[in-house]
Amino acid sequence: MIDRINALLPQTQCGQCGFKGCKPYAEAIAAGTADINQCPPGGDEGIIEIARLLGVPAKPLNTRFGQHKPKQVAFIIEDDCIGCTKCIAACPVDAILGASKCMHTVIASECTGCELCIAPCPVDCIVMKPVPRPTPAQKAEQAQKAMRRYEARCLRQARAEAEKAERARKKKEALLKLKSFKQ
Amino acid sequence: MADVLIDIEVAYAKPEEQVILVLKLPECSSVEQAIKASGVLARFPEIDLSGSNKVGIFGNVCGMDQVLKQADRIEIYRPLLIDPKDARRRRAARG
Repeated sequence: MIDRINALLPQTQCGQCGFKGCKPYAEAIAAGTADINQCPPGGDEGIIEIARLLGVPAKPLNTRFGQHKPKQVAFIIEDDCIGCTKCIAACPVDAILGASKCMHTVIASECTGCELCIAPCPVDCIVMKPVPRPTPAQKAEQAQKAMRRYEARCLRQARAEAEKAERARKKKEALLKLKSFKQ
Repeated sequence: MADVLIDIEVAYAKPEEQVILVLKLPECSSVEQAIKASGVLARFPEIDLSGSNKVGIFGNVCGMDQVLKQADRIEIYRPLLIDPKDARRRRAARG
């Protein structure tokens, strides 16, 4: 059921619903701990689809979580970018290409318009630009892509965390060995 | 032994045009081999890997001999247009 709900969410991964991404929100809906009308990017259309899937009446978007607005993508003003990587760390779908002290660029085809990169930028060099309204087929394709990128990113981060913990553990072990050797 | 293939992407981005090239390469290929195989250099002749353009994987600069893992995205970076320290000083002076 979680996957079926997740498939109806826009995969913007913006967190406006109060969860860390579309999948966690889908899990909460399935568990009955979140309402079906907390996704501003999905809007009324999305709510109707989730209501149909769950066999419950649809309801209007709860605007406490945000307003529905047409899809936009982020754009970096290159004359101001200082290459700080804060936006790259914030992007849930790896849609920004760049590294420390190198130019950062939004890959428009991958950007979900979540706006999570805007606030972390210390020089305010990211703006949102409107894009042509996608057809339902394009929308589905974009959502698929965003889901893939989001999951790949989560996996990569989890692996990096595990590697870090493993390194710390080994270091501690070596230190303990050294200590006992000295005694 | 048959080579195991891994999925790799090579990406390059400019404000007005971004490409992500998808390819399959034998395990243990290097960044350099991936960039060559992708054809990105022919498509964007301005890329100068021995000069202004650095390369990396998912936001971390690496060497051309870096060995690739499954699902890596090799990224070709462009230099900044401004000096961050100068920009900081200018912003401070403006108040």
